[in-house]
Amino acid sequence: MDQGLNFIGKSFKRKDGPDKVTGRAAYTQDIRLPNMLVGRVLRSPHPHARIVRIDTAKAKALAGVKAVITAADTKGIKHGFVETPRYPADQSVLAQGKVRHVGEAIAAVAAIDEITAQRALEAIEIEYEILPAVFEPEAAMQPGAPEIHPSHPKVAMKENWANIGGKTETGWGDVEKGFAESDYVREDRFDCQLRTHGYLEPHVTLAHWEAEKLNVWTSSMGAFVKRAKLAKTLDLPFAAVRIHKSYVGGTFGGKIDLYPHEYAAARLAMITGRPVKIVITREEIFQAFRHAQPLIIEVKTGVKKDGTILAQEMKVINNSGAYRGSGVVVIFLAWGFTMTAYRIPNLKFQGYSVYTNLTERAPQRGHGNPKVRFAIESQMDMIAEALGLDPIQIRLKNARDAWEQLPNGDNTHQAGLKDCIKIAAERSGLLAKYGQSRKNPPADTIRRGVGIGISSYMGGTLIYPNGSGVIVKMNDDGSATVLTGAIDIGQGSETVIAQIVAEELGIGMEDVRLISSDTDTTPQDIGAWISGMTYVTGNAARVAAGNAREKLLALGADRLGLEVSELGFGNKSVFAKANPDLKITYRELIAASIATKRGDTVIGEGFWRTMRDEPAHPSLATAKGRWTENYAYSAQVAEVEVDLETGKARLVKALTVHDCGFPINPALVKGQVDGQVSMALGHAFMEEILIKDGYVLNPTWLDYRMPTVHELALSEDVDVITEKYQVGKAYRTKEVGEGLVSGILAAIGNAIYDATGVRLHSTPFSADKILAGLRKIERQKRQAAE
Amino acid sequence: MILFEFDHERPNTPDEAVALLTHAGPDARLLAGGTDLIPNMRYRTVTPALLVSLGAIQPEAPREEKDGSLRLDALAKLVTIENSALVRKRAPMLAESAHTVAGNQIRQMGTLGGNLCQDTRCLYFNQQHDFQFVAPCYKRGGDCCYPFPRNDKSTCWSVFMSDIAPALIALKAEIEIQGEQGLRRQPLEALYAGDGLKPHKLGQAELLRAVIVPPASPRQGWGYHKESVRGGLEFGMAILAATVTLAADSKACEGARLALGAVREAPVRLTETEKAMAGQALDAERIAEIAEAASQEVNPLPHHGFTKAHLRDVIRIQMRRLLARAVERAVNPNA
Repeated sequence: MDQGLNFIGKSFKRKDGPDKVTGRAAYTQDIRLPNMLVGRVLRSPHPHARIVRIDTAKAKALAGVKAVITAADTKGIKHGFVETPRYPADQSVLAQGKVRHVGEAIAAVAAIDEITAQRALEAIEIEYEILPAVFEPEAAMQPGAPEIHPSHPKVAMKENWANIGGKTETGWGDVEKGFAESDYVREDRFDCQLRTHGYLEPHVTLAHWEAEKLNVWTSSMGAFVKRAKLAKTLDLPFAAVRIHKSYVGGTFGGKIDLYPHEYAAARLAMITGRPVKIVITREEIFQAFRHAQPLIIEVKTGVKKDGTILAQEMKVINNSGAYRGSGVVVIFLAWGFTMTAYRIPNLKFQGYSVYTNLTERAPQRGHGNPKVRFAIESQMDMIAEALGLDPIQIRLKNARDAWEQLPNGDNTHQAGLKDCIKIAAERSGLLAKYGQSRKNPPADTIRRGVGIGISSYMGGTLIYPNGSGVIVKMNDDGSATVLTGAIDIGQGSETVIAQIVAEELGIGMEDVRLISSDTDTTPQDIGAWISGMTYVTGNAARVAAGNAREKLLALGADRLGLEVSELGFGNKSVFAKANPDLKITYRELIAASIATKRGDTVIGEGFWRTMRDEPAHPSLATAKGRWTENYAYSAQVAEVEVDLETGKARLVKALTVHDCGFPINPALVKGQVDGQVSMALGHAFMEEILIKDGYVLNPTWLDYRMPTVHELALSEDVDVITEKYQVGKAYRTKEVGEGLVSGILAAIGNAIYDATGVRLHSTPFSADKILAGLRKIERQKRQAAE
Repeated sequence: MILFEFDHERPNTPDEAVALLTHAGPDARLLAGGTDLIPNMRYRTVTPALLVSLGAIQPEAPREEKDGSLRLDALAKLVTIENSALVRKRAPMLAESAHTVAGNQIRQMGTLGGNLCQDTRCLYFNQQHDFQFVAPCYKRGGDCCYPFPRNDKSTCWSVFMSDIAPALIALKAEIEIQGEQGLRRQPLEALYAGDGLKPHKLGQAELLRAVIVPPASPRQGWGYHKESVRGGLEFGMAILAATVTLAADSKACEGARLALGAVREAPVRLTETEKAMAGQALDAERIAEIAEAASQEVNPLPHHGFTKAHLRDVIRIQMRRLLARAVERAVNPNA
């Protein structure tokens, strides 16, 4: 880290911390407006049905009911998570003609109170024609399966699969030749459970139509995305829609894109002229909202005797639910997560996104990476064992180096992956522990195991509009007001932006205040998703603060009769480097500017986008096109304990060694590491949405088991520093907020194998699966003895 | 949010509560801590016209009776049971079982009587039915069974998940019930009907007043285990409780009581296994056989995503572990 930095690299406490821990923070649910109505959404009781008739007359006639809307009351404009020529918008805000999953929104009501709203929902009459439904992607792909949507025309031209929402197909080299030249080839199949995001604050939206303007407060991860989609579906100019800021109680990927209740609150507010608030129940979230993407991954890998990968073939099948959602993104990302960590000279990749009669999907922290790394890293250990290599050797043999050119034209830059692996091995003592439980089993039934997993994650990627603008307004006293579209969802963006502005301007943290995430008053920002806010918005804030600083320095040069190059800055002043006592305060400079420049106050502006000359985004279908210049790398080690009798496994200790470039706020980075370890632990051992015939069986915190404080494991971490911060220069931070759910998941699976000899091909690693594995081993031993 | 209207009364005495129940008829429900009833009312699986709140009635502190038994007010909060020095000394298994219930916030509200009188549970039943499983199942007054579609017997295979009932049954606890005819006393086990549709035999205008735990015999040890995926904040996959009394030689088993929870519509006593234990020297090998027999004596209902086979595994393994612990405690009460 550069010497002389006062704010960057220091663990300042979060700006939003005191409000949140004292309960002062106002979340959307806390916001009340006069004459507010209660909105509720009517949802489909069938996984697949044609809507023959809707009659809302009885509901509208109820006393206290102010409005009832169905698709007939919308403009019929569709929206989609992806909206490209290949993947056009495919979702209606309220179901039109057909419902494709249980809980799909059909109608909405606004009433004077909750009970009246409930009665109104019950008074809406709908006649359905039930259609056959399908829930498993491999069944849904079969020709002749119930058609949820026609297969994508580009795929249907070549392949006879049903219900294909999209396909990613890419590769390089000659995999057949690669396999033929390999000394060892193996094929494995992995799958996983359906998980949800687990944000504690439910979805809530308050909308109010006033003076020809729609004002919206909604729990989200990006105000500008919400504005764009609301304006589009309501057919309003962007300028007529204002998304206000409110505190957000967690998102993890589950609050991006547009949700029907947001449209409904807005439309109902426009019709009634009164504010309408819709609070979604936890049960509705579990039953009808978007969850993560369960992937089936088939991976075939060919290696030389020394473990060098020669060829890899991946087939990924995504259960994308009833609409395209982010289903076609995750199959593209699965390719990215495959190619960035290990060198693969010959690759064939096919990803299918398959419609089923379940809710459409949203990204979830890691967006497919945990499942991809679980597959690849598990198989890596299996290959190593077959070849007599250790888990570190085989990984170092194949890991990407710094300054490697990636097949899509990206570059790994200062990739610290090999250092991560080496440090993780050394810190954990992995090689000394690995295999001990199986070689020298202790007398009791408790077995310890250790395992490693690596991963890579992109940040600041090219996807419209992954750019950010920031304005820094200098106030008369030398303090700064920062306008940013960035949204702080708990990751600490406001704190990080304040640190950058304080550093670049030489003012204190207490001198920086932010106005953020308000579409009317702040510049455009993509929001807190797809990773990279610290890089993209952070650099924009750096440029904006630098722009204000340059103006102050120019004023200082003028007032002090020196050249700008002779000046330094700090402590809200500009001074002569040769004689620091010769100085002038920002307050004086700003007053002078106003007095002498016809009222010209000091405002800095800054903009940032990755690879500014590249097109908007790579192709989701072919993966061609550059993606980012920020790849983070990590190696994670898990130590687990397994009770051989009960089959219960638990994570005892996690070690994360990661290259995030450099930490601007180490405590926030540590928070991300620990949060991801605990989230991966939920994936590994307990979380699962149980579904039967399209209905969710456990739509409550009670029966959907998130880890509690009792399950948390010791989490240690090491930052591998590969980049640095210098005032006035562009910096490169790497992703740290979601990639680290991945390597650790794979490491836990590998550690369970190390402890027990049981290789698990699906998550969660539940006691009954481990017991079944142990029994299989016993049977095999008996058979071998006979 | 409870989306229907209902009346609410807050009597000052148990007599007034019984009178209100008598007068109101079957649409009235008692409200103690509310931790079971209120979620069910939110889901509208229970829609009483009248709630008779017991919140104004002060529970008595746990006390020892003349015969050495422990008397617990049914309205005692679970935190009281869990933290009472007297309970911890005289019936540590009861304190431990109370401690395993949910989380602290729920134990601050939930009562002993409410825990024993809780409704049975089923994933299909305990949720909102606005658009999921809309047609009522047998338990909701309809004519289907979602988890067991071939169940055409108009019965309900939901499970009774009290963490405390198995412990109290193993401790041979009795309960005091107040009705129009005054107080009556009966073994706790007799409270349970074994019917998922109506799990309890309390009359419509009856009120559970007290739980009485008899004094432990000399050389009596106990073992308790709640199997769950996480440590806390959930109902048990299976709940196991046992008391073992050793003969004067501290070796042979003089008597044992084994009870399971969360495996059937009511807590299950393993009477066959108990009989088989009598007179046996409880060494490790014998305990393993007993645990195996225990897992076979019960026919667990698959519930909450757990299979019958896995529940049997859990019962066998944990029964063995807790019986070993019970014998240890019987030999050395300070263990």
